[in-house]
Amino acid sequence: MSLGLVAVFFVAAGLIAVGAFAAVWRRDMTAALAGVPLMFAGAGVAFAGVARFAAAGGPQLFGQEFAVVLAVAAAALLALGLGIAGREGQR
Amino acid sequence: MDSLHAIGFYVSSGVSLAGALGVALLGNRDVRGASMAVVGVGLAGIYLSLSAGFVAAVALVCYAGCALLVASPLYRPMASVVGSRWRQVGAIGAAALLAVLAYSAFRGEFVHANFYGGAFGVANLGRLFFAHDALSTEALAVLVLVAFAGATAVWRVRERSR
Repeated sequence: MSLGLVAVFFVAAGLIAVGAFAAVWRRDMTAALAGVPLMFAGAGVAFAGVARFAAAGGPQLFGQEFAVVLAVAAAALLALGLGIAGREGQR
Repeated sequence: MDSLHAIGFYVSSGVSLAGALGVALLGNRDVRGASMAVVGVGLAGIYLSLSAGFVAAVALVCYAGCALLVASPLYRPMASVVGSRWRQVGAIGAAALLAVLAYSAFRGEFVHANFYGGAFGVANLGRLFFAHDALSTEALAVLVLVAFAGATAVWRVRERSR
């Protein structure tokens, strides 16, 4: 059994598409916001896959660095978005 | 890449995608939060099988936080004003996005390079974060600070209004 960049990109595409689907399909804004971390997760997987398989020049771990940034940003944006949406929902 | 890593990657991918479908489709808030936690576990497995141990640890912590936020009863539901026709158009757009991304991944010709970053890579990542890209790290820290301060302010206003 082998693993390559194409398989990583397929998984990343699946996560991004499911996240986009969740963001557009759910009626509840707080549920729709949960799709954003899924899309960020897909992007992070793609970046980590490129760092693992195809980063030839420069620092090899740029992709992993960006995956860390995306994971932290996903949690922060979800906290901010849920706070704003919950505040609007009270009005 | 040996077959153990490949098996770990495919199993973790299945777990992660199943959790993502749970987040997208399940209705109960608690179950949705649990699904988000499953996504985090699967994501950590994916990163571990890609020799990114530090990223796996960070993703596990961040997505556990996301799961707690999604499952939290503090946030009241807020109905979207988008009509059902536009929701269906968006769903078709998401399917088209999946098709385009899968096609480009299948047809792309990618270079292959040998990986020498190590299994965890925290020393090299720390060098990147705090020396090479210190400004972007500072910007991310400001974003996290604003998010937590905003969430705390919203929570305090809500508690005061009760």
